[in-house]
Amino acid sequence: MSEEIILQTRALSKVYRDFWGRQKVRALKGLDLEVRRGEVFGLLGPNGSGKTTTIKLLLGLLFPTEGEALVFGKPASDVAKNERLGYLPEESYLYRFLTADETLDFYGRLFDMPSDVRRQRIDELIEMVGLQKARKRQLQEYSKGMTRRIGLAQALINDPELIMLDEPTSGLDPIGTREMKDMILRLKDEGKTIVMCSHLLADVQDVCDRIAILHQGELKELGRVDELLKVADVTQIRAKNLSVDCQQELRDVISRHHGELVSLDNPTTTLEELFLDIVRDSEARPGRRAGVK
Amino acid sequence: MVVEQQLLPYFQWLLTGGENSLGALPSFFFVFLGVAMAALVIGFAIAASRYGILRGGDVTYKTVSEGLSELLQTAPRRVWAIARLAIKESMRRRVAVALGVFFLVLLFANWFLSTNHQEPARLYLSFVLTASTYLVLGVALLLSAFSLPNDFKTKTIYTVVTKPVRAGEIILGRIIGFTIVITGLLAIMGVGSYIFVVRSLDHSHTVELESFQVVTGPAGEDAGKKGTTSRDAGHRHELTLDAEGNGETTVENGHTHAIESIGENKYRVSPPLGFIRARVPQYGKLRFIDRSGAAKDTGISVGSEWTYRSFIDGNTPATAIWTFDNVSDAVDPKPPEAERSLPLSLIVRVFKTHKGVIGQALQGTIQLRNPESQLTSEPLPFDAQDQQVDDIDIPRKLLSQSRQEIDLFKDLVSKDGKIEVLVKCLDRGQYFGFAQADCYIRHPDGSPIASFAKVCVSIWVQAVIVVSVGVTISTLVSGPVAMLFVVGFIILGFWRQDFVDIATGKSYGGGPAESVVRIATQANVMVQLEDTLLNNLVSGFDKYFAKPIMWAVAQTLPDFRSFSTVRYAADGYNVPWDRVFQDVTVCLGYVIGLSILGYFLLRTREVAK
Ligand SMILES: Nc1ncnc2c1ncn2[C@@H]1O[C@H](COP(=O)(O)OP(=O)(O)OP(=O)(O)O)[C@@H](O)[C@H]1O
Ligand SMILES: [Mg+2]
Repeated sequence: MSEEIILQTRALSKVYRDFWGRQKVRALKGLDLEVRRGEVFGLLGPNGSGKTTTIKLLLGLLFPTEGEALVFGKPASDVAKNERLGYLPEESYLYRFLTADETLDFYGRLFDMPSDVRRQRIDELIEMVGLQKARKRQLQEYSKGMTRRIGLAQALINDPELIMLDEPTSGLDPIGTREMKDMILRLKDEGKTIVMCSHLLADVQDVCDRIAILHQGELKELGRVDELLKVADVTQIRAKNLSVDCQQELRDVISRHHGELVSLDNPTTTLEELFLDIVRDSEARPGRRAGVK
Repeated sequence: MVVEQQLLPYFQWLLTGGENSLGALPSFFFVFLGVAMAALVIGFAIAASRYGILRGGDVTYKTVSEGLSELLQTAPRRVWAIARLAIKESMRRRVAVALGVFFLVLLFANWFLSTNHQEPARLYLSFVLTASTYLVLGVALLLSAFSLPNDFKTKTIYTVVTKPVRAGEIILGRIIGFTIVITGLLAIMGVGSYIFVVRSLDHSHTVELESFQVVTGPAGEDAGKKGTTSRDAGHRHELTLDAEGNGETTVENGHTHAIESIGENKYRVSPPLGFIRARVPQYGKLRFIDRSGAAKDTGISVGSEWTYRSFIDGNTPATAIWTFDNVSDAVDPKPPEAERSLPLSLIVRVFKTHKGVIGQALQGTIQLRNPESQLTSEPLPFDAQDQQVDDIDIPRKLLSQSRQEIDLFKDLVSKDGKIEVLVKCLDRGQYFGFAQADCYIRHPDGSPIASFAKVCVSIWVQAVIVVSVGVTISTLVSGPVAMLFVVGFIILGFWRQDFVDIATGKSYGGGPAESVVRIATQANVMVQLEDTLLNNLVSGFDKYFAKPIMWAVAQTLPDFRSFSTVRYAADGYNVPWDRVFQDVTVCLGYVIGLSILGYFLLRTREVAK
């Protein structure tokens, strides 16, 4: 991970208004974020917390009410940034009367890619998302997971530096989920920057370097996943090939030092606990940055 | 007649314009500037209300400057990608149905159009071409108005605008794509129409041998035969044959047949000829001499007539005089030089103040005059039939008024190629009405197919303008609203002149607010409204607010009525190239102007709202 800032928001706020300009929803309140090159950044939050709104603001699909969103150092409304960016929307918003091939060809053309480059790239991507058998079929015949895959393929057509994934694993089967996560890690290894949002904590925990937790449009928590999950007064011990004697010895050592053995098992998903803690805390005391420990 | 407004040569039209009109390019420039200023003011107002004056100004400035640089970055490949998408979308939305409807219309047309008509070609051509126009405009409307709104509704636009495609390319690509679809449709409909008309009007006759009368020449030799054809398709022709048995029939219902002898008392009659014509007229300049012999710009008005045609009274010195330029014997290239004639066509509006002799046409005379030497030919009489195109070929060898033999092209054409045509009415108390376009020198006919194709181009032009307007406005509003808007645009464009007349106070009854008052108080348009405060307020509102807005809106409207060249084809005139080039240029102007407008509308729209 380098120090180069790929993505930045400054006091980013969004108020949805109705036709008459009356305020409907404050979907985002003064968000400050920075994402650096090579990171996998996760946006977490319950339904309606403003994750998709943030992504849309970063893409220039929405205009901020206050503050600004910068992508590659330029305002989000700048079209030129799209050259280096890939976006997988919440649901795959694709033309249902096109086939997979035609879809990728269409988006390839929008990047002004010459036809030979385009053809090669399409073959690679179709293979990568495993749609070889269905590439000549219209998208309206696709299942949800297949649509998701072709959506991912179109997001990667230009080999982007920055990839924004809105709930990448929704609609995928366990194998698909696994593959998606592997792919995110592979892209990370290639040096790409990834911003994803999800409420599937296990996914986030598996792939993200840093996360931000949003609740009702406010940033509640921001930090490295490993640090956020490290509970200072808990020590976890994992070891292999311990004899029963040795285990007993460890228990003895702990009790001699007035410690309390929590478990000697595999650790559980504590992100879920963290998440629920924050949401509970935030609901009890709204408006405060939670859990700054 | 067809040409009611004089057509300017293309470059004059484009650059300098006519007597009381601006050139097309300067007008485009001014309208463009006007729309740009208005858009800037409105844009700033919206931005200022959203972000405050300072930041609003900044946002406006950035939008405009970025817009200009982005317009230069337009990439053909991206435009083409969007165009292809638009074509595929049209296919998915089953535009082919329009073709089905078209062929159904043709089938029904066969039932209710009759070939037993004075001018069946006019009937058939105007029917199929009008049907094609409405169908194509309808398809253009539906395709363009619903395309972008549908993308917004299904949110597919999210995945598109997050690619490096510029908003202008999304607009232009769609216009191009739908234009291609429409071109295809129109090509099929055009070919279908042409074949349909030719096939429907096709018929043949046999010659009736019992009607034959032998014609003898001056020396008593056999000079051929006269007779009639059989009665088919509701009419029969007279025919004249030469000594070899070949010849042609008279013109009936707008066509003739050629007859060829194929053995003893056997003749072959050709399919109908000259149904679809493309006359190429050369127009002159018209002035009048009134009954007292004084020169006038116009003749007299007989009341109900449209002002642009005016009348001369019979059996007086009143004369209609056309002056033609560039006249030489090259207008009649086929026969040997010594036999060439001046092919004139004359259309007379006959206005009778008494019955005259029943069954006998009114008489008129034609004279030719050299504008330099004033040498004038003997009057040639002709029969005036109301509103019929009368083709009169004036022979080269003529007599002067002093009954000396003169040569038309040598003696009556001035050195700078001018000739005058003088037309008089002979019957006392009767009137002939003329407009400038009612007398013309008939050049050799153009190709009917080419002329027909040019009519299709004019339909195409209308459809492309509809597509451009539809795509542009649909960046802003939903599909049905966009459709209503475009329909309104077409209707206003069709009645543009009346709209302008209201805006400039030429027509009676005041502006929209005054009309409301007149309707409410049941005062007709000629009644002077009372001088009350309310009425003054109302007419002030019209004068300083409604009418200027109407005038400004009218400036951006295309004159849809003038685009339609269906009448050219129906009346049998060649569509001049100047007309085609002008229409295509106007169309291009709309595509460019609307793409730019569409760019800003789409660019400043919050896509994900
Ligand atoms: N177009 C819109 N108009 C009005 N309000 C909206 C609009 N889009 C979103 N909102 C509101 O903004 C808030 C944030 O919505 P957003 O879609 O960003 O949530 P999210 O975090 O992505 O939720 P989810 O996990 O369900 O996808 C919600 O209260 C939502 O109702
Ligand atoms: Mg969401």
